[in-house]
Formats: sequence, structure tokens, C-alpha cells
Amino acid sequence: MADFLLGAAGFVLAMVALGLVRTLHGPSTVDRIMAAQLLGTGGTAGLLLLAQEMNLPAAVDVALILALLAAFVSIALFTDAAQSDANRG
Amino acid sequence: MAFDAVLVVSVLGVAAWTVAARDTFAAVVGFIAFGLLLALVWVRLAAPDVALTEAALGSGLTGGLLLAASTRLGRAGMTAASETPGSILRLAAVVVCAFVAAGLVALLLLLPEPAPTLATQAAANIAATGLLNPVTAVLMAFRAIDTLLEVVVLLVALLGMWSLAPDRLWGGLPRGSGLSDPDGLLTFVAQLLVPVGILVGIHIFWIGSVAPGGEFQGATILAAMWILTAVAGLVDAPATSRPWLRLLLVAGPAVFFAIGLAGFAIAGSFLAYPPSYAKLLILTIEIPVTLSIAAMLALLVAGPPEREPQR
Repeated sequence: MADFLLGAAGFVLAMVALGLVRTLHGPSTVDRIMAAQLLGTGGTAGLLLLAQEMNLPAAVDVALILALLAAFVSIALFTDAAQSDANRG
Repeated sequence: MAFDAVLVVSVLGVAAWTVAARDTFAAVVGFIAFGLLLALVWVRLAAPDVALTEAALGSGLTGGLLLAASTRLGRAGMTAASETPGSILRLAAVVVCAFVAAGLVALLLLLPEPAPTLATQAAANIAATGLLNPVTAVLMAFRAIDTLLEVVVLLVALLGMWSLAPDRLWGGLPRGSGLSDPDGLLTFVAQLLVPVGILVGIHIFWIGSVAPGGEFQGATILAAMWILTAVAGLVDAPATSRPWLRLLLVAGPAVFFAIGLAGFAIAGSFLAYPPSYAKLLILTIEIPVTLSIAAMLALLVAGPPEREPQR
């Protein structure tokens, strides 16, 4: 079971890494914001799987924080992009 | 094993990319992703306390701060690309960085085996603090003075940022988001997420005495939730001259310092607690400190005053 959980976490992490390529490559701001969202979700899932696999209940709290702050960061990214557009236009 | 390998490669890749990125916005996104991956690394190393701090402060709030800074730079018409350093400056940076890296490597290689540790002493004396989480015991009891100074540093940082404002704006209001729309998505998210977030923040703070968590991490979440409501235009940032705001900012460090001084009388030295009241005193410190830190972090992200104070 532990192997399966770690494998699943590895799969999620690999997908997050693919999302990272998209985040970093861009080219548009929207791509980056969407990929950052995916990162937050994937990171949360990976942490929850790790919490089970490593028997580390505190990692669930880390996942909780990540889920909240991923939403916060997405909004910060969005407002930043919106304000930059407003300045340009 | 394969999992750890993927993790290490991603962390190093993102770090290298973030350093190399030319666009400020892209670099900030890279930094946030780096913090997220680093939190996973700390969990893999069975250090959830550090992972919590990294996720909350390192990735989340610092990411928000950097984003705010990048927006301001964009508004001022300055970008990273416009200031290309000369070749001498670049060479100097390379030399300094190489020295620092070499020093760190040397330190790691020269570490005595086993590494010196106070962990056993801390674990042996944890019962006297009434706490169950050794990290909180170190932060709030054994090395409480470090935590006190950290809070003071944060306050000084906020004052330093405020003093960047022109004289006539001193005590004024930080820039508003200008995005308020009562039917908009931001308002909806703020109304839905913020109550949950406040609850999670209090939970992370409260659980700190028995499990990973604590006042800095809890305060970060509270600050992030306040910023969300402010960005959505549901609340306006308070004028920095408000007496209640300044009282809130100094309450934490003041209570911390006062209890520290009382330690001379009741336990014989600065920041010492008598064992029978230790947990009560620690909680009495932690609650105002959490609120003060939340206010400091939120105001740091809000930025220096840019609107005249209303009189």
C-alpha cells in the first residue's frame, strides 16, 4: 500500500513538473496563472498522499495551508496581471 | 527513491530557471513554485514544522510581497532588463557567490560527526514548558529571545517601509486595489474562502503547542485572508496613523517584552517562566503576538502610504 501511495505521489509530482514547464515557458500570463493553479492543486494532492505514506499527520496541515495560499497566490497573480494591463492600456 | 529523484531534479530546475528568468513576473512565479516544491522536500525529510513555514511564509506570503513589488516596479516604468550591470559588477557577483558557495560546502564537509546538538537537552526539559511540540518549546521557551527579536525585526521592517512615503503622505492609506465589484468573482472568492481561512489560521496557531504549527504560520494565513478581502474591495486598508492599528502592531512585542521582564521577578531571569504557569504565560504571549504579526505582514504587503490621510 505504501508503495502504491508513493507511486501515486510520484505520478502527481511528475504531472506538477509538466505543469511547471508550462508555467515557466509561458508565454502568456494566463498560461502562467493556470499552471500555478495546477501546481497548487497538485502539490496539495502530493502532500496528502505523502502524509499517508509517511504516517505524518502534520503534512495534512501543510496541505491545508498550501490549498488556501494557492488560491491566495492565484488571485494575487490575477490582480497583478490586471493592474499591469490597466497601466499599459 | 524515484520520487525523491524527480523532486530533487524539479527543485534544482526551478531554482536555476528562476535565477535565469529575465521577466520579473515570470521570476516571481518561479519563486512561488520553488517554495511549493521545497515544502514537499521538507515533508520528505520528515520536518513538517519547516514545511509549514516554507509553505506559508516562504512561498505564499513572500510570493505576494514579491508580486506587489513587481507590480510597483512595472508602474514606475522600471524593469529588470533596463538595468544591465557592467562586466566588472557581474564578475564581482560571480566571485562573491563562488566564495559563499565554497564556504557553505566547506562548512558541511567540516561538520563534526555526530553533529553537535541540543535536541536531547530540549527533549529532556520539554515537560517544564507544558508544551508537547518541541519546536514550539524551543521557539517560545528555550530560545524565546530569538522569537522576540524576530517580531521586533518585522516591526522595524514595517516602519522602514512606511518611511519610504513622502512626508505629506505619512500616516496615510496604502494604495487600494481598485478592483471592487460587488458581483465579481473576487468578491465571491473573498466571501467564500476568508471565513474558512480564518478558521484554518486559528487552527494552525492553536495546534502549535502540541503539533507543528504556531504563531508565525497562523498569522501568515490571517494576513493572507485580510489581503484577499482588501483586494476584493470589501474592506479598505486602514490609515497607518490610526491609534488602534498602532496599538495592535506593538501589542505583541510589548506583551512579550513585559512578560520577559516579569521573568526577573517570578523566575529569576529574563524570559524565564515558572514551570507551573509556563503554558499559561506562553499562551498569553502568543495570542497578541499572532495578531501583531498578522497585522505587520498584511501591512507590509499593502505597501507604503500612497493616499493622503483623511482628517
